[in-house]
Amino acid sequence: MPRHWHQWALILAAFGAVAVLLVLPLVLIFSQAFSQGATVVAENLTSTDMISAIKLTLIVALVTVPVNLVFGVLLAWCVTRYEFRGRKLLTTLIDIPFAMSPVVAGLCYLVVYGGQSVVGQWLDDTLGLQLMFALPGMIMVTVFVTCPYVARVLIPLMQSQGTEEEEAAILLGASGWQAFWYVTLPKIRWALLYGVVLTNARAVGEFGAVSVVSGLIRGETLTLPLLIQMLNEDYNTVGAFTAAGLLAALALITLLLKTVLEWRQRHKIDAAQEVTP
Amino acid sequence: MSIRVESIRKRFGGFTALDDINLDISDGGLVGLLGPSGSGKTTLLRIIAGLEQPDRGRVFFNDRDVTTLDARRRRVGFVFQQYALFRHLTVADNVAFGLRMLPRGERPGRDAIRARVRELLELVQMDTMSGRYPAQLSGGQKQRVALARALALKPEVLLLDEPFGALDAKVRKELRRWLRHLHEQIDVTSLFVTHDQEEAMEVSDRVVVMSQGHIEQVGTPLQVYEQPASRFVFDFLGHINALEGRYDGHQWRDGDAYLRLDTRGACPNGDLTLYLRPHEAELARQPSDSASLPVRVAGRSVFGGTVTVELEPRGWGQGILEVEVDREAWRDLDPQRDEPLFLLPRDLQTVTCDGDLGPRVRPA
Ligand SMILES: Nc1ncnc2c1ncn2[C@@H]1O[C@H](COP(=O)(O)OP(=O)(O)O)[C@@H](O)[C@H]1O
Ligand SMILES: [Mg+2]
Repeated sequence: MPRHWHQWALILAAFGAVAVLLVLPLVLIFSQAFSQGATVVAENLTSTDMISAIKLTLIVALVTVPVNLVFGVLLAWCVTRYEFRGRKLLTTLIDIPFAMSPVVAGLCYLVVYGGQSVVGQWLDDTLGLQLMFALPGMIMVTVFVTCPYVARVLIPLMQSQGTEEEEAAILLGASGWQAFWYVTLPKIRWALLYGVVLTNARAVGEFGAVSVVSGLIRGETLTLPLLIQMLNEDYNTVGAFTAAGLLAALALITLLLKTVLEWRQRHKIDAAQEVTP
Repeated sequence: MSIRVESIRKRFGGFTALDDINLDISDGGLVGLLGPSGSGKTTLLRIIAGLEQPDRGRVFFNDRDVTTLDARRRRVGFVFQQYALFRHLTVADNVAFGLRMLPRGERPGRDAIRARVRELLELVQMDTMSGRYPAQLSGGQKQRVALARALALKPEVLLLDEPFGALDAKVRKELRRWLRHLHEQIDVTSLFVTHDQEEAMEVSDRVVVMSQGHIEQVGTPLQVYEQPASRFVFDFLGHINALEGRYDGHQWRDGDAYLRLDTRGACPNGDLTLYLRPHEAELARQPSDSASLPVRVAGRSVFGGTVTVELEPRGWGQGILEVEVDREAWRDLDPQRDEPLFLLPRDLQTVTCDGDLGPRVRPA
């Protein structure tokens, strides 16, 4: 327990900052959304634009999260389990999406895969596939922007955990895959979950990169964040805040889910402690 | 199963961790790999287990070359220094792990696995804790679980890396005896690593002394102690006193101290170092005909049947010397503090001019 008044003051300040910076905006979002009553909210929620945006956002997240889950685990595995030339370089390269402005990333994709580019033209001619200003492009940039999260969470953890447990598993006859599935994965699952939560939050909320490659076609290539921007420019405040409220709710649900899962895990360990005094 | 290691070499970058290691361990042996930290013990163990590939040389189990055999197919039991228990599994699940990893055809049924786990946990006296997680166990308990886990697949080779290293002195002693006993119960060839001389001497049938990636000596504990093959081995096995002086063919001298010796050609004349083990000397009020090493008592500690006495040389030598005398003899002598005494060595080990061990000599 804090003993001095200044320790209390510091804690109070922390709570104050959280209230002003985090809780207040959340409250404002919901109060703005409901400022003209629930029926208006319901109307906005059921508008075709909104429903299409929700669908699109979920599709983008549903593809991005698994892709980056697998990618992140593979990358963390390589970097922490193998000694090879260029390992340091690889760990630095992972951070490019963090270091680069998302808008720049979007532009790069546009230049490489857009209709004017060699790749884009070839894809259009041979497969009739258009990546940019369509769903594939939006997924691609979202994957790019969110790819470091899982790896970044896993690498320090896997480094600190070492490889002895995996070696023990191998010596007990496990194959590499079994060692990963029965030993590594359970050891990293909470970090992995955290990485997934971060990836998901970012995938759902990504604005900059997606706005460059989406082409902003109403009812077709607008995700929730893009729709918010559009509605706000149309002076549809309630609509904008309804969409914002949806995003916020999504974030809160993810957080809740993560907390519940963590709590259940701790509960399991405590229970084991109780039966064996 | 016998283990044979032939001309193993292993480098890490530019550093040679193992240099031309040859070792033969017969079936059913309990061999202690003894050496200071960094001498390559763990590396050798890992190469035998298949966790590390040697740069050169071969490993045989019963004349079968296993050098390129995958670690998972070598079927060795391995106990890691830090135990490496699966932290997310209970004690019982840790022990059952190896059985569950068996291919479908060989895997015992659920009940058979449960029975085997119970049997193993009884063997290591951990059957009451099968539901606990590793984080809820003490060091000694983790140790036992790790051992039970390693034994689950009935390995014919058991490798243990500093199995008692992380435990406190009392638990250590207990577990040592228990390991010795266990080894007699089951049919297995064991190689265990330690940096503790006493432990190696007590537990093993044979001791392998290592230093800087080399094997210095292989022998029974008695052989290694009584006939050390090198200065390193002599140095490493227990505390020794080094007496540095000059030898003129008849007499060893250092300041006011002298010993009459016949070194049988160890070092004709010039600088001569003599090693004295703490229990190979006596204390007296008078010098003898052949030895005059004046000392005074600087401290003493009574423990068990012997008294460990710290002696400060008077007019010779550099540091404090340590000798162990019989408690009876100490009582008979009953020296006062600071009283001048004389140290009478019974046996001394000469070190030749080129740094090797010379003959053992006694003052005469
Ligand atoms: N994976 C590795 N990479 C680089 N150096 C290593 C590695 N493993 C061991 N070494 C080095 O090899 C030497 C022997 O190590 P080790 O076999 O662990 O010694 P011991 O077990 O006798 O203390 C040490 O100097 C250690 O630093
Ligand atoms: Mg070691």
